Amino acid sequence: MSRDDTPARRGARSQRTQASSRLRAWGRHHRAMGLDSARRLVRQPLGSLLTMLAIAIALVLPAGLWLMLDSARLLDAELAESATLTAYLEPRVGEGEAMRIAEALGAHDDVAAVRLITAAEGMAEFQQALGLGDALGRLESNPLPASVVVMPRQEAPAAMQALVDELEAVTGVEEVRLDLAWVERLAQLAELGRRVALALALLFGLGVLLIVGNTIRLAVESRRQEIEVVTLIGATHAFVRRPFLYSGAWYGLGGGLLALGLLNLGGHWLATPVSALAVSYGAHFAMPRLDVAGSATLLLCSTLLGWLGAWIAVGRHLASIRPR
Amino acid sequence: MIVFEHVGKRYGGRFEALANLDFRVRRGEMVFLTGHSGAGKSSLLRLIMRLERPSRGRVLVAGHDIERLHASQLPFYRRQIGVVFQDHQLLFDRSVFANVALPLEIQGMEPREIARRVRAALDKVGLLYREKALPIELSGGEQQRVGIARAVVNKPALLLADEPTGNLDPQLSADIMALFEDFNRIGTTVMIASHDLALIARLRHRILRLREGRLVADEEAA
Repeated sequence: MSRDDTPARRGARSQRTQASSRLRAWGRHHRAMGLDSARRLVRQPLGSLLTMLAIAIALVLPAGLWLMLDSARLLDAELAESATLTAYLEPRVGEGEAMRIAEALGAHDDVAAVRLITAAEGMAEFQQALGLGDALGRLESNPLPASVVVMPRQEAPAAMQALVDELEAVTGVEEVRLDLAWVERLAQLAELGRRVALALALLFGLGVLLIVGNTIRLAVESRRQEIEVVTLIGATHAFVRRPFLYSGAWYGLGGGLLALGLLNLGGHWLATPVSALAVSYGAHFAMPRLDVAGSATLLLCSTLLGWLGAWIAVGRHLASIRPR
Repeated sequence: MIVFEHVGKRYGGRFEALANLDFRVRRGEMVFLTGHSGAGKSSLLRLIMRLERPSRGRVLVAGHDIERLHASQLPFYRRQIGVVFQDHQLLFDRSVFANVALPLEIQGMEPREIARRVRAALDKVGLLYREKALPIELSGGEQQRVGIARAVVNKPALLLADEPTGNLDPQLSADIMALFEDFNRIGTTVMIASHDLALIARLRHRILRLREGRLVADEEAA
């Protein structure tokens, strides 16, 4: 119907050049719309910033929690390494015999090292730890048995349990305690935390979609006439959608960058008290930082969320815009 | 070029906007569509642009039953029709040049080719010297000419206009109509809805008269 030659009437060669020129045109429009939508954002700095800030706040909470959990996992691994067994000797065992038993335990294949804590040392430690010096000092005899702290070679729970059974069979050993319960409890806590973080991430991700969706909905509404006109003169849905998708992606990227900034700021702010707290527990705990890969992941996720929010909003809205 | 076969259009099941329209417009013809407001002129144009679908009958454009066009084909169908609106539908946030360039950008034309064609179209409507202006800075007649430049910039085979002289004084209206005649002279099929009876009587083209959605007269060019 157009007076130009239709593609079918041209040769295959010109069809190829036409395809490549269409691809170039497509790239050109993407570039133009990417820049145009960025310019529109910059033209309304306050509104754009507020939207990005809202996105950033929605991202900071799950990202921050995830960071804490990630470093807790490192700490967790460190702690598991120091898992030890404590073999409590029978109360009647004297100091000399205790040393002999400790040596025997140390000779076991699965034991890496042993440390003997005599009844007196145990008492001293106990007094110091609890600050109960006077009260315990009034006791006539030391009620604590001697004990041997055993560092196992293998830390797998099953191997540890087997070692417990073997050590308990040694004469003079009353009971062997596996100090794993709290490690397990910590692991369970971490698992709980991870699930909470995941739920929060899903919830706040939805929040980002809604924030971007609402902003884009308003943008679509304010450009209703333009959309009607370009639809009338033959714009495809993709053409109409493109600038809004870029706006959404820019909002997401901006929000992600702000979230990174907030995370770093928060990290700095908390670093001093956290490390002081850690030192008071005799532990080393550095404030977690997002590395390059983590930062890139955050930015990618936020950009994709912004793009997706825009897609949903524009898709829902375009159907309602029909040229008059 | 345009064939209406027993076309009827009802809105909301009751109101009959068009009834049993049966006519054809040949390629290269210039046709006026006239009647009181509410006679169905705009509905007829909307059917051709496939903004509406007929309740009854068939509309064929360039030999194709446009009812059969898939939604994804519609943009490409509409690119072959130039449309001029009474309120010209210019975008006020961009220059005259950018407004006229819009149909070509939608088609993904090379920027250099776009510039060449836009300037040619603006030159044709006598507004080349205003290419950098914003539409708001132009008079009503100039805005309408920009609208026409946008409608013809991709050289459509069919040009539709809905009351293109609605708000213009007689001299400007005559100038606008002369422009449409120029495009018709180089082979474009032109269909103009107008109720400016005095003006279109003078122009001696075919006139389709609508009354209450019915074709009451089909007067061949004198």
